[in-house]
Parts: sequence; structure tokens; C-alpha cells
Amino acid sequence: MGALLVGIGAFLARTENWRAYAPLAGDPAATGGSHEHEQGHGHKPSGIIRWLTTVDHKDIGVLYGTYGVIAFLWGGVAVLLMRLELTTPTSTLIEPSLYNALLTSHGITMLFLFGTPIIAAFANYFVPLLIGADDMAFPRINAIAFWLLPPGALLIWAGFFTIPLPVDIGPAQTSWTMYAPLSAQQPNPGVDLMMLGLHLTGVSATMGAINFIATIFTERGENVTWANLDIFSWTVLTQSGLILFSFPLLGSALIMLLLDRNFGTTFFAVEGGGPILWQHLFWFFGHPEVYILVLPMMGLVSWILPKFAGRKLFGFKFVVYSTLAIGVLSFGVWAHHMFGSGMDPRIRASFMATSLAIAIPSAVKTFNWITTLWNGRIRLTAPMLFCIGFVSNFVLGGITGVFLAAIPVNLVLHETYYVVGHFHYIVMGMIAFAGFGAIYYWFPIVTGKMYQKTLAKWHFWLSMIGVNITFFSMLLMGYLGMPRRYATYDFNPALAPLASVELLHQVTTFGAFLIGLGTLVWLWNIVQSWAEGPEITDPDPWNTKRDGLHGREFAWFEEQLAADGKLATTDGGEASDASRGSSELRSDGGEADEEQLATDGDAEEQAQPTDD
Amino acid sequence: MGADRPEATAPDRRDKTSPWPVVVVLGIVLSEVGILFNLYPVSVTGLLLFTGSVAGIVTEAGYAVRPWRLLVGLGAAFVVVGLLIVGSQVDGGLASYLDAAARDDGIVQRGYTVAAAGAIAALVGIVGSRTVDRVVFR
Repeated sequence: MGALLVGIGAFLARTENWRAYAPLAGDPAATGGSHEHEQGHGHKPSGIIRWLTTVDHKDIGVLYGTYGVIAFLWGGVAVLLMRLELTTPTSTLIEPSLYNALLTSHGITMLFLFGTPIIAAFANYFVPLLIGADDMAFPRINAIAFWLLPPGALLIWAGFFTIPLPVDIGPAQTSWTMYAPLSAQQPNPGVDLMMLGLHLTGVSATMGAINFIATIFTERGENVTWANLDIFSWTVLTQSGLILFSFPLLGSALIMLLLDRNFGTTFFAVEGGGPILWQHLFWFFGHPEVYILVLPMMGLVSWILPKFAGRKLFGFKFVVYSTLAIGVLSFGVWAHHMFGSGMDPRIRASFMATSLAIAIPSAVKTFNWITTLWNGRIRLTAPMLFCIGFVSNFVLGGITGVFLAAIPVNLVLHETYYVVGHFHYIVMGMIAFAGFGAIYYWFPIVTGKMYQKTLAKWHFWLSMIGVNITFFSMLLMGYLGMPRRYATYDFNPALAPLASVELLHQVTTFGAFLIGLGTLVWLWNIVQSWAEGPEITDPDPWNTKRDGLHGREFAWFEEQLAADGKLATTDGGEASDASRGSSELRSDGGEADEEQLATDGDAEEQAQPTDD
Repeated sequence: MGADRPEATAPDRRDKTSPWPVVVVLGIVLSEVGILFNLYPVSVTGLLLFTGSVAGIVTEAGYAVRPWRLLVGLGAAFVVVGLLIVGSQVDGGLASYLDAAARDDGIVQRGYTVAAAGAIAALVGIVGSRTVDRVVFR
């Protein structure tokens, strides 16, 4: 520990010294080289120190994104192992205890280490650009919020790392809901480590939320008002409000659970507050968490989908109002996760009413997206495909949720695969889809490159087909009564149709591997295109100017290209044929072939198959 | 405090780098792990890193001219918190506090750990304010 303190002291002395006494303004040797758009901020150190010390919102956005992708891969590998195990009713590949651990890790990883951070990645990079701010309101707190995440993940996963070691610490087997008394009574220190890690990620999310609220309220540019604030920033603002009111509660509940586990308190013991208290506290956080994850993704789709429909978002105001309505309602529905817990039927009925009411603002959004598409000039680019897939999956995931909100149906289907199918249509079919769409849409801005069109479409179709095979099979299994969370299902065939359940499990596993294959295609596409793809010189790679839908972030991108001398149309007449063609096409009244219009961004795009 | 010293924050914003956030995080993580598992050296290291880096980052951001007073304040706060934790397990006056220090009581040990780390931080703050040149922080 002493050596650690000395090492940190040396690090601080070195970096503070460089900052305080050797300002690097104008020193090109000291400028980080990997990011192309830093002409106005050329003071950054190079290498790993740059990434450890950056407080630039764009850098932190990239860090969040990288982190989210790593977590997504971890959670994906965990679930593929589980799906392999479930191809047979008996335990064959992994022990039930490891299955339980993977189940726990998959849930927590995907929600806290992938879902929330990947939204923070988009929000960090693009909200300041969209609102005309030069950075977040509190850049250093922004960096602290990100750096809390890696140790959080290491603690959450710690039990897996210690499996080969001769220590008595294993991965937690509590499921992501950590219900008492199971979570309070498991003696494994890996559970404590996981809860500590979860606590850190909660602190991180709260700090980030405060920062976004302050940024959107106080750092908007002169021309950005509440009336013309973009839909993505509206959803991030609403999400940040939800985080502010729900994550501190999770943090407090986790501390109470840790106290129960380690210090003999009885918050969630039968002789104290009771196990149901945990469920109330957890779901008071947990249901808003669903909207914390989905609202910004709805914002992304509301932002991107109109660009490729050639029309403004239909009913913008009502999309904003529905966002706010969902945000408020989300705090009044938590007990629908507990309909089977024996609560007072009158309270249960009131929660059913509020839960069903959420269908109204949700439907407002869905109809507005569909109406935006109606009579639009649809261009099926990869971002657009993912947006349309998002809407399609939301119809299935949303309507199954309406059924689950009804108490009589819920009492039959709760704790079955129906629930798993329902919420995976939301988290994979919507949240991940919107994330992929946004990554493709903003890939040119973040990397200065263009991705490969054919691979992106393979990715979409593998994911879309995979999602619907996987999660529709789960809905069917739920109807057959297959309970969720079980490592084995070797039950008596006289009690339930074992053969059908086994077949559906195998179909589900096949679908999951399709999604996995699509994800590998995506990863390859992103990495290779970023490393080797041709540079973008067209500031409007999606031809949105033609429809008057050019966003503020692409206007910023144009300024960066101009500053870097890379702008195709202002570089002294050296623009390629394709670029000139682009200008002509844009001014010809839009009569040209859609595909041509969309792929004529610049010369380099022609050199490599890229998306339209 | 920061509002009246805009010249201190402006260059930092342009630099867009700071060494402090990583250290703040390391302090929080080590503090939490150390206190939960009652690992004395880890707790003290974590709390020292936390208090020191908070004082450092606040100074760097221009909200304080020098870090020492804040370091003393944070240290004192941890002394109070630590003694409150000890006090939750002890009845009586100073003698009972001293007796408790010798007991094999995990909660009391954690309380004294927090208090000791706070005392060290406060001491560093006092010594720093009297020895380190003001010019460094301009």
C-alpha cells in the first residue's frame, strides 16, 4: 500500500508538473495522435496517459463505448454458455452452480455494465455537440463517473477470476435481483464484492446524471432553446432525472443488504423489515431502470429514423410529452414485479392500472414513428434498418408487457420464460438495436471513416432473425409453463410437454448463436473499418441536407473537416467525381434513385462497399 | 470561489486533461473494499487517496486557491465519522473509548481506521499549509 501511494504520488507529480509548468500549447509532439478532431484542444499528452487523464467529453464518450462493448461481449459469452447447457434437459456442460453464476453475471453485466454505459457513451459524445456546448458542465466529474466503472466491473466479475485460485471466493449466485433472504444468507464473499461493484456503478450513473442535467440546463448554445432542443437530449434529460431519483435508492438498499450480510442488522430478515421490503426497494429502483435504459434509445430512434424517412419526426411535441409521461409513471408501477408475492389485492389493482397506463405514451411514440415513415422516402441504410427493427420488436415486447401488467395473466405467466422473452424483446430487440443503429449512424463522426455496408446488413439480418427466433421461442415456452432461471428442466413428461420444451430450448439456442454470429460480424466491421476504412470527406454522408434534416452534430463535423482541411467541397476544387455528383444529385429535386443518392457521399465510399 | 477566479479554470478547460479523477476513483474503491472487509492498510490508503485527491481536484478546478484547508476539513470530518462509528459500540467516557481500541470488535476497528486516516489527512493538511510555497498553486 505504501508503494502504491508513492507510485500515485509520482504519477501526480509528473502529470501535474507537465500541466502546471510545461504547457504544451502549440507543441505538436505532445498532441495525442489518435483523434483527428482536436485542433482546438491540442494540449493533450499522448499514449495511455492521454486516456487516463482526459476530461474531454468526446474522449470519455469513446471510453464509455469501449467499456460497454467489452461488457456486452462478456455478457454475451455468459449467455451462450448458458444456452448451450440448455440444449439438453439435464446438466451436461456446466454445473448448475456455474449456470447460476453466469445467469447472475449476464443480467447485471448487460443492465449495469453495458446498457447504462453505452447510453452514456452516446450522450457524452453527442449531447454537448447537439446543444452547442463546448463540454459537459463538470468535465472532471464526468471523468470520475467513467473511471468508477472499470473497478465496478472487476468487483462484479471478481468471483469468476478467483475460480482458479485457492481462495474461498466464488461468483455470486443471487440472480441480478439479489432477492433476500437468498442474497443475505449466501456466505460467499463474492456476493459482497459484486454488491460493492454494483454500488460503484450506481455512484457513477448518479454522477453522470447530475452532470447531464446541469449541462442541458446551463450549457446550451445561444440558439438552442427548450422549444428546439433535440429529442435525444430531451430523453437524456428525462433519463437523468430518473437516475437521480432511483439509483441513490439502489445504493442505499445495497448498503442495507451489505450490513445485513456482514454486521448482523435485520433490514431484510424475517424478524426485521422482512424479505418483501427488499423487493419493494429493489423494484422502486428496478422499474425506472427499465426506462433509464429505454428512453434514451427511443430518443436515438426518434433522432435517426426521420433522417432516412426524409421527413421530420411526426408529432415532436407529443414524443417529448410521452417521454416525460413515461418518466413520471415509471415510479408508480414497481409492484407489478411482485404481483405473486401476496400483497394486498387492492394495492395490486392500483399498480395494474398504472402499469397499463404506460401503454398510452408508449403507443404515442410507436404511432409517431410509424407516421413519420408513412409516405416518407425510405432509405434502408443500416441505421434505418435497426430503427425499423427497433419499432417492430417494440410492438412485440411492448404488447407482451401489457399482458403481463394484467394481474390474472401475470399470475399464470410470472416466473416463466414468457417474462424472459418479453423483456429481452425490449433489452436486446430495442436497446441493443438502437445502440447498433446509432453506432452506424455516427460512425463517420467518431472515427472519420465509413463502415462496410454489406457487413452491416448481414449484422442486421442475423440480429433481427436471431432475436425473433430466440425470444419468440421463449414466449412459447412460457405458455408451456417452463420456469425461468433453472439450470436443468429434466421434469416428468407426464406433467408438461418435455419434448416440446426441449425443442423450443434448442431453437432458442440456435437463435442466440445467430445473434452471436451477427455480433461478431459487427465487431469485425467496426474494428476493420475504423483501422483501414477510407476517410470521410463529405460532411453530409447521409444526405440529410437535401431534406432539411441536417443535425447540429454533423454541422460540427463539417467544421472539424474544414479545420482539418479534409472537406471535399472546400479543398480547392479537388473534390472527386462522386462528391460533385453528390451536389448535383442533391439539387435535382430528389428524383434520383434512392440507393444512388445515399451512397454518393464521397470518393472513398466508392472505393469500399459502404452503407448508404 | 470558482466564479471569482475564471482565469484559473479557463486554461484547464482548454487542456481537457486532469490527473485527479483516476486517483479519486482509486480512493473510493480502496476505501469501500478496505472498510467492508476490515483491511486496515487498504482502508487508510484509500481514505488518504480520497481526501487528498478531492482537495487536489477542487484546487485544480479553481474552486480553492490552496488544497490544505479542504484537506484539513475532510480529515476532521472523517475523524468525527470514525469516532461516531466507535461511539455506536461504546458507552461511557474517554476510558471506555480507549478500552474499546484493544477489543477484537470489527466495527470498532473500522471506526478507528476511519478516524486514523482522517487524522493523518488533517495532519498533512496542517503541515502542508505551513511548509509548501503558495506560488505552486497559482
